[in-house]
Amino acid sequence: MAALAARGTAALPARLRPLWALPARRALAADAGEGKAAQPKPAFTDEAVQTLLYKMTGLDLHKVFRPEKKGLKPPHYKLMTEAQLAEATRKAIEEAKTKLIMPPVLNEREPIDDVLAEDKVLEGTETAKYVFTDLSYSIPHRERFIVVREPNGVLRKATWEERDRMIQIFFPKEGRRVIPPALFKDENLGTVFQQDRHEDLLNMCIAQFEPDSPDYIRVHHRTYEDIEKRGKHDLLRSTRHFGGMVWYLLSRRKADGLLIDMINRDLLDDATSLITLYHMLHPECQSAKEAKEQKLQGVDLIKVFVKTESQREGYIQLALQAYEEAMATSSAS
Amino acid sequence: ALSAGSRLLRGRGGHVVIRFALGGCTNRPFFRIVAANSRRARDGKYLEQLGCLDPLPNAHGEKVAGLNLERLRYWLGCGAQLSRPAEKLLGLAGFLPLHPMTVTGAERLRRRRQREQQPEAAPADGSAEPGTDS
Repeated sequence: MAALAARGTAALPARLRPLWALPARRALAADAGEGKAAQPKPAFTDEAVQTLLYKMTGLDLHKVFRPEKKGLKPPHYKLMTEAQLAEATRKAIEEAKTKLIMPPVLNEREPIDDVLAEDKVLEGTETAKYVFTDLSYSIPHRERFIVVREPNGVLRKATWEERDRMIQIFFPKEGRRVIPPALFKDENLGTVFQQDRHEDLLNMCIAQFEPDSPDYIRVHHRTYEDIEKRGKHDLLRSTRHFGGMVWYLLSRRKADGLLIDMINRDLLDDATSLITLYHMLHPECQSAKEAKEQKLQGVDLIKVFVKTESQREGYIQLALQAYEEAMATSSAS
Repeated sequence: ALSAGSRLLRGRGGHVVIRFALGGCTNRPFFRIVAANSRRARDGKYLEQLGCLDPLPNAHGEKVAGLNLERLRYWLGCGAQLSRPAEKLLGLAGFLPLHPMTVTGAERLRRRRQREQQPEAAPADGSAEPGTDS
């Protein structure tokens, strides 16, 4: 398990690694400042949390490698022995694991508000502002100098939106537009949700925005809220967005819909890992304390959670009953 | 090509300058900030492009300029000269101190605007006063 997680983080593309390094340090500093007597609040990037989320994501090869709309090519057939087929499946699983690396979950970035110089002399000479970007090739984009000289003579650092736009103009990234598409506005998100294209929307969002930008966070939260409202958790299963969705729902204590969905699909292991993660996130709740005292496992864990913490108790009890009956009939026959 | 380069023969002078090379189309200028031999044509062969400047404001009301500061520092270290518009631009950017002509130009503009406002105010006052008197 630990080896799996280590391999997962090692396989992270170099682009994501510095972003992942930031929040861990920030979270530790925040906890040290708060001085909690209990364990520090688990962050998204903790190994234990990541292993649980990864287990719940599932690995449906048919969904991960489903045909994407690319150029038309005739299908490619190969004749293989059993051993070669096993080898090809193993390679496919490795590739699927890289495709399932979770995008980072960060706090919203602080707005930049830094004045470098004030030259009142220049007031009234210009009509438009100048935006200067440092084009040196070997600087990471986060550390690039982008300054704005306003018409009133003030030389200030550029805001995050100006920064993103300038960096996209001079160092264009594939899949990203200089001006974000109108798709990401709130009024247009509803159309996308009605077509059940949450996953495509989230992929486009990752391509367009930085993970700590307010737009990225807003789009992701809207998507997760819509999924929770409609109960369509399966749309994101076996994609890289599943972990983020689970993290969001558990932080807001909305684990019921997901739990019902898992039990209906007979994924009891995932259900137990969901409850374990819930207890890690909210150690002060009653079911967490009971679970720790009695060291419960499996279905008992779910029952304790249902009795104490859930809102939709009736539904979950029904689902559990149906599951147990199904288990009984299958083991009898 | 020695035929065109006969004017640029080494040993007779010529130095590296960092200046603007004009490009673009009719009524649509675009400047490239360029390190070139001073005796080359304005838009001719250059040593290295160090940035660009779009003098027309874009949809967000900004004039976009890019400067490769690392290479700029290298050429300045090699002893390159700067043209006056390049110096003014770098002064605006904050890389160099503000050019004195920028300050002088701003003050001249302010004085000219004041002079234009005063003659408007003075005859207006002059015409109003006899009206109030009588």
